[in-house]
Amino acid sequence: MAAAPRLLLGFLLVLACFSETCFATITFSSLPRTLVVTASHPQRLLKAGEDKITVRWGLNQTLAAGTDSAYKSIKVELCYAPISQVDRAWRKTVDNLSKDKTCQFKIVKGPYTTTNQSSEWTIERDVPTATYFVRAYALDAKDNEVAYGQNTDAKKTTNLFEIQAITGRHVSLDIASVCFSAFSIVALMGFFLAEKRKGIKAQQ
Amino acid sequence: MSDMEGSPGSSMHGVTGREPTFALSVASPMVPTDTTANFDLPVDSEHKAKVFKLFSFANPHMRTFHLSWISFFTCFVSTFAAAPLVPIIRDNLNLKKQDIGNAGVASVSGSIFSRLVMGAVCDLLGPRYGCAFLIMLSAPTVFCMTFVSDAGGYIAVRFMIGFSLATFVSCQYWMSTMFNSKIIGLVNGTAAGWGNMGGGATQLLMPLIYEIIRRTGATPFTAWRIAFLIPGWLHIIMGILVLTLGQDLPDGNLSSLQKKGNVAKDKFGKVLWYAVTNYRTWIFVLLYGYSMGVELSTDNVVAEYFYDRFDLKLHTAGIIAATFGMANLVARPFGGFASDKAAQLFGMRGRLWVLWTLQTCGGIFCIWLGRANSLPIAVLAMILFSVGAQAACGATFGIIPFISRRSLGIISGLTGAGGNFGSGLTQLIFFSTSRFSTAAGLSWMGVMIVACTLPVTLVHFPQWGGMFLPPSKDVNRSTEEHYYSSEWDEDEKKRGMHSASLKFAENSRSERGKRVASAPTPPNTTPSNV
Repeated sequence: MAAAPRLLLGFLLVLACFSETCFATITFSSLPRTLVVTASHPQRLLKAGEDKITVRWGLNQTLAAGTDSAYKSIKVELCYAPISQVDRAWRKTVDNLSKDKTCQFKIVKGPYTTTNQSSEWTIERDVPTATYFVRAYALDAKDNEVAYGQNTDAKKTTNLFEIQAITGRHVSLDIASVCFSAFSIVALMGFFLAEKRKGIKAQQ
Repeated sequence: MSDMEGSPGSSMHGVTGREPTFALSVASPMVPTDTTANFDLPVDSEHKAKVFKLFSFANPHMRTFHLSWISFFTCFVSTFAAAPLVPIIRDNLNLKKQDIGNAGVASVSGSIFSRLVMGAVCDLLGPRYGCAFLIMLSAPTVFCMTFVSDAGGYIAVRFMIGFSLATFVSCQYWMSTMFNSKIIGLVNGTAAGWGNMGGGATQLLMPLIYEIIRRTGATPFTAWRIAFLIPGWLHIIMGILVLTLGQDLPDGNLSSLQKKGNVAKDKFGKVLWYAVTNYRTWIFVLLYGYSMGVELSTDNVVAEYFYDRFDLKLHTAGIIAATFGMANLVARPFGGFASDKAAQLFGMRGRLWVLWTLQTCGGIFCIWLGRANSLPIAVLAMILFSVGAQAACGATFGIIPFISRRSLGIISGLTGAGGNFGSGLTQLIFFSTSRFSTAAGLSWMGVMIVACTLPVTLVHFPQWGGMFLPPSKDVNRSTEEHYYSSEWDEDEKKRGMHSASLKFAENSRSERGKRVASAPTPPNTTPSNV
């Protein structure tokens, strides 16, 4: 009889431990900035679908050895600068990383190595017109963020770059629209005049 | 029954006081059947159908019903087609929250004016051409979405597409030429409700079309533009079907109607005066702005809300948003049914209480929707909110026929315009600024619904009372005849122009509820020319 409540307590404790790992909220402010990230690109307005950005990342060499023992993989993302988040709540920066919407485009994801790495990325065609910076997250074996680095300062004011999106318009689409619109108007007028003429003929 | 054809009010003409919302047919002794006519459905002396056979496409009556409600449905689809795709459009056009909100306001504002013009167009060209003209001339505006490249263009195109919602007027007008007045309430209510469903169907349809186009290889910023070609083509197809399969009247087309002369037309100025000076008109304009109006506003914002708040995929957000609009299938008729049932037991007081209860509950669930933090709770709150708001729309039109007999058409039109105006206002205040998050905006909208439903407590009919006060004790004023004939001046009464109103008054005695049997014969109501 005494075993039952002890069993229940043990079960609840185990459940609590599981929930800690399942629902642990990782906040951005808890991550150390241990990575150094740079992004090089042509010094003008970048065009989506055409221009390339070369991203380099690696551990900050001034830090103690073994800082990166937990890092198993890296993900590098394109993130919105504060000016592009104004009046756009769907890009809001929130401390809780699972709800944070700052970084919405993946540049590259791969295993972590102690040597510096780089990647050349062609800006994808669904990137909107905005001002951006680049951030890299170091992930542990469970794919949780454990550290980060970004090519701008803490206030996100330096080294920002602008990308111009594609319009999404095509000449063929424009022509199709005009043709369909014309068809609609002509068909309507055609029916109307034909029936009017039939009415006049019937009266005569 | 051919009095006042084409005049203001004739589109809702013949809605008497007595038909319950669910009258599916009219029995022969009440309205005699014309046995010489050769139609699929039994018809009256004007060849209007006496029976509403839902799953038939028989020419001309049921075919008209289906052409009409599907045209209205199509216009709802195209007006709200942008809403579920906003997460893509806002990135392509670099929109801010204000731009998205202003576009939503624009999409419902255009039809305030177009609905007023549509009545005149139907009078001139007939409802068939009215519908076809509108739907085919608004097809180019839908195709214009493919050209849009900035916020200004987006707002302008949504404004122009919104004009097509005036098909509501042609739909109701066309039904009233085809269906007997005793069942017109159900027919028009069903058509309106099913048309409104388009606002829900589009939230399912557009993300699906977008997804299919993307799978064929198009980039997102092109795929949404191509997706708009589909609603545009729906307009063209429906327009052609209306022109080829439809007809204005049971016996043929409009030209025959216009041959009949010598109809006593009512003066537009007088009809407008009696509509505008009746305070109940304005209370119901406000109320409809917070039942239909919030329904339209929610159609515009709810897909984006679910996408952002709960991190859903575009088509999942679309499915959830669709259930909001699709509830119209049953919720709106339910509201009318509840109103009629309450009237049977408690008369007009019952109708008012049902309206207040449904609309206030809708408001409370809307507050809950904004505050819900988990997806299942939010979906539940949304569904309850939709039932409350849409049933309130149905219940509103259970009361409107009783506000006035002479000015019924204009009051219906003003109420409808109030719905759109309320929608525009709500979107402007709560969903176009960064001051409120969308969640807070929804909750505040719920508060505003509850507040703006309170004026219904002020509605009082001298012959039936109001929500709290009993009917007037004055022996003269407490009759239906007095209320309805007070819309005519002495001169008009001498000419007997108010005789239809008197007949309506007699039929409306059912609004006394269980007290009908004890209603005394009012003095001085016998018209002088009898």
